[in-house]
Amino acid sequence: MKKLLALVLALTLLATLAVVNASAEEVAKPEKISIFIDGTVVTSENGQAQFVARWEELTGIKLEITQPDHDAYYDVLQQTISSGDWPDVLILSSTYYSAYASEGVLWDMTDAWENSATKNSGRFIGDSVIEGLKIDGRLYGFAPTRGNGCLTYVKQAWLDAVDMDAPTNYEEYTAMLDAFVTQDPDGNGVDDTFGVSAAGFIGTEAPFTNYLPEFYQDAYPSFVQLEDGTWIDGFTQESMKGALERLAEAYSKGWIDPTTLTNGTKDCRNKFYDDGFGVFTYWAGTWGTNLKTNLENNGLSGELVALEPIAEVDAYFDRVPPVWAITSACENPEGVFKYFIDTMLDGGDMQMLWTYGAEGTHWSTAAETLFAGTDAEVTYAEGEFHMLENLETPGTAYTKNHIDPMLALATFAEGYYDPQEESVKPEARLSAEVFNTHSKLAQIVPSTEEMSMYNGDLTTLKNELIAKVTMGELSYEDAMARFEADGGKEWSDIIVASLNATN
Amino acid sequence: METAAKVVVHKAPLKARIYKYRWFYLLFLPVAAFAVVFHYLPMFGILYSFTNYKIITDPVWVGMDNFKRLFSMPNFWTAFSNTLELSIVKLLLNTFAAVILSLLLNEMVNLRVKKLAQTVIYLPHFMSWVVTASVFQLILSPTTAGLVNQILLKLGVIETNIYFLGDSKWWRTAYYIINVWRDTGWGTIIFMATLTGIDPGIYEAASIDGAGRWKKMWYITMPSLANTIITVLILNLAKVMNLFESAFVLQNDAVMDQAQVLQTYVYYQTFNSGGIPNYGYTTAIGLFRSVVGMVLVLACNFASKKVRGRGIV
Amino acid sequence: MAQVQAGIAFQRRKRKFGAFSIINGLFFLLVCFIILIPIWKVLVDSFDLTTGYGMKLWPERFGLAGYISVFTNPTLYKPLMNSILTTVGGTFFGLMLSTLGAYVLIQFDMPGRNFLAGALLFTMIFEGGMIPSYIVMRNLGLTNSLWGVILLPAINVYNLVLMRNFFEGIPVSLFESATLDGCTPMQTFLRIVLPLSKAALASIGLMFAVAYWNDYTNYKLYITKETMYNFQMKLRSIMMGSDLPQAIGGATENTVQNAAVIVAILPFMILYPFLQKYFVKGINIGAVKE
Repeated sequence: MKKLLALVLALTLLATLAVVNASAEEVAKPEKISIFIDGTVVTSENGQAQFVARWEELTGIKLEITQPDHDAYYDVLQQTISSGDWPDVLILSSTYYSAYASEGVLWDMTDAWENSATKNSGRFIGDSVIEGLKIDGRLYGFAPTRGNGCLTYVKQAWLDAVDMDAPTNYEEYTAMLDAFVTQDPDGNGVDDTFGVSAAGFIGTEAPFTNYLPEFYQDAYPSFVQLEDGTWIDGFTQESMKGALERLAEAYSKGWIDPTTLTNGTKDCRNKFYDDGFGVFTYWAGTWGTNLKTNLENNGLSGELVALEPIAEVDAYFDRVPPVWAITSACENPEGVFKYFIDTMLDGGDMQMLWTYGAEGTHWSTAAETLFAGTDAEVTYAEGEFHMLENLETPGTAYTKNHIDPMLALATFAEGYYDPQEESVKPEARLSAEVFNTHSKLAQIVPSTEEMSMYNGDLTTLKNELIAKVTMGELSYEDAMARFEADGGKEWSDIIVASLNATN
Repeated sequence: METAAKVVVHKAPLKARIYKYRWFYLLFLPVAAFAVVFHYLPMFGILYSFTNYKIITDPVWVGMDNFKRLFSMPNFWTAFSNTLELSIVKLLLNTFAAVILSLLLNEMVNLRVKKLAQTVIYLPHFMSWVVTASVFQLILSPTTAGLVNQILLKLGVIETNIYFLGDSKWWRTAYYIINVWRDTGWGTIIFMATLTGIDPGIYEAASIDGAGRWKKMWYITMPSLANTIITVLILNLAKVMNLFESAFVLQNDAVMDQAQVLQTYVYYQTFNSGGIPNYGYTTAIGLFRSVVGMVLVLACNFASKKVRGRGIV
Repeated sequence: MAQVQAGIAFQRRKRKFGAFSIINGLFFLLVCFIILIPIWKVLVDSFDLTTGYGMKLWPERFGLAGYISVFTNPTLYKPLMNSILTTVGGTFFGLMLSTLGAYVLIQFDMPGRNFLAGALLFTMIFEGGMIPSYIVMRNLGLTNSLWGVILLPAINVYNLVLMRNFFEGIPVSLFESATLDGCTPMQTFLRIVLPLSKAALASIGLMFAVAYWNDYTNYKLYITKETMYNFQMKLRSIMMGSDLPQAIGGATENTVQNAAVIVAILPFMILYPFLQKYFVKGINIGAVKE
């Protein structure tokens, strides 16, 4: 009992010290914060003014937003910076984040983060994500969410049609694909179905294998850092041989959609809705609902199995999320960190604002009927949380603001009303849960001079060889011979050496 | 008569000639102002091509390094020659098809069909390349959904499906056809306007002299069009190296040796570098493209002067 | 005798005319048909409530939901007005600069004419680049301003040279007689050059108008305020909508996107018939001479 008392006393003392310590270096509150954001925060036609008003109300700080067209974000960012107008805070993709950080133009927030309310709130579950954002042990950006990734969806109706269960290993997986091709799973009496489809045999962005993980398994066509810190090129490893042979077999047997090479993502989605194929590896979370509603709209069953990774695939890839960074031009970075970044996941009103938007504009708990006049009319009772009608696309509701509730790195504080139950559809939550339990973080690959010189040609060559081996135009051995002859091996070695030199 | 006038004028003192044209200089003023403000003022940016400039830090002078890097990039020359070939063949095919269509439209007597045809052939120009690519990927696909393959199979021209956009042997053909589909109609606008400018009196006179349709086309229509055709060709040559979007949306991993053009090559170079783009390098590539465009334009202008006695401006 | 020959020639011509004309007409119907196939695919999909992949002759489940969704979008009207304003304004400025420049460039004896022509051509081939252009626009106060997106593309050397090409077709004798009648260069320009160039003005004006209407590049670089976006920017964001998490359109995403593609063509379909008369009729210069 005494021991316990002593412990409690010691803890109290420590806590007091911490508080005193914090107040000693009193962080000044900024008057104004300028931020540069892409289309992942509500746009001005979608009630951004109300979002800003609420944010200013909660902090007492003026918020100045520049939000270029989503597709032109980095062009406009560069123009703005070139003319000397640095914002205090900006959103950066992982590539830009690591490059900006290495040029020394981002504020080092390592210490601020360690002492932040968010990290020490007890609600924060993203330590590994933040750890993955560190460059040489220092942190220059903060991500309020995970990056999300793709998981494999299988049509339950097709499984029923061929009388099979969801596969758990590669053998069962291919047996299922084969059945989907040969046993007319859509029941239209025509031999017109494929097992799986994707936009290209290999993705264009890291983690490249995420659209066809069951075939690639442990093979990875780009640079990987091993446990001991050394870098290798996964393309030159033995595992790639197995991957390419699996792909070639699948292609020759018609398991993979024959136009995978030229498909766009939209083509894939439309074919999936049109019952052209049965297995689709696509984004986890919200897309679980999107796929379902689109299938149902076509008069098909929307029931999808969010497949746990088959035995040979240990986990799905979780992308490196985009981050919020404070620029070194910011006059009061501590203040901006405290009032802007450290409040984003406060577990209360602010987190609510970043997750669902402003009350009365994006969500509401008032009794009302939405979408009056459409067949999808819904009535809510007083106190029932619901998202409001999208200002730009009448007839649909908002789904979220910047933070996807399924990807958030912190829960709401105890006692604070968390509307996830109401706002997130069950199939989306299921898909997110399966993904969360079975995913691993993708690595940030640093850029080197040699990388920017050779990786363009190298990637083009690798992708060409992957496509040609898959389509049966080249054997694996011939492909590797060409890889050597065309200089691929040499470029790969140069880049690997440069990566290892940075360690 | 015109030459005679020229000789006389040239003998006049410069001052007198300038005075004679004083109002024209004034008329040119707005054009000059726009050109200076929107084109010449930003020209200082060409200097960036001799620097390393990552925007977030100040530019660093590196001399010719960016150009050296460009020329030493492993597959640069393949991309360069692909660009020239795809662009120039595309330009010639599109112009040729546009001229033929214009001539035939001009001969059209049924005004209703003519108006319909003129409206319809312009439409593809309004579809973005992304949409165009996705529709043609479907039409040309090697499956039962691929219209072209199905028709060719039915007609017995082929025995198995051809993957037009996925096969390096076919990709270029498909690329040219899609380009002709999209831009030929739009290209006829300028030729049609030229044709309507031809004095109908000349045709009447020729008819009275007993000239037939083909003679009139050959001796009246074609010479009137020639000037416009050459102008359009030379103006477009200046943009030959800018080829990007059409190749970008239609290319894929298996046909890169045929489809990689300079702009897409540089795009992938930057995209896969894992870093932020070096603006100096991008500018250097822009300058290189400009120089190639200028050489092409000057060469053709020179040829045009030799053959026709005049250039395009 | 001569009359008889002419008569025979006329008859023969007429017969040939008939066969050729029919073949020519059929040829164009075929061309139109081929051109329309890919567009038909988009059109059918825009009216189809089911999301399909393959080609269909008719919509499987006909519905106007796609178009309703585009047209009931309350944020589309302001951009529509912006587009109309910049297209009309820009076409005006564009034609003004092109005709003025072209008129000066056909003065072959004007001292410095070749230099001016060369200086213009130079700007068509060489450019300062994205960042310097932005800095100039910003210093002129033309960023986040519709004036910027109107004025910048108005100087178009390509169109100017084409215009010059048309002006060159005007007989020199007309200019000479105008000068003899005491016309100043400006009067000659307004009374002779412009009235004789209707087809040129219509075609180059159309090229300007379409370029302004379809402008996306300048907007994305120089406008960051959504209230100044044009119709194309908005349609594009509808088409790309599925990439943006908060704009996921629900059940008819594909239908809406295809409807947006068709809506982008509509203004041209409405405008073009009005312009068409300038392309159909030739101008009898002989008549003007008298």
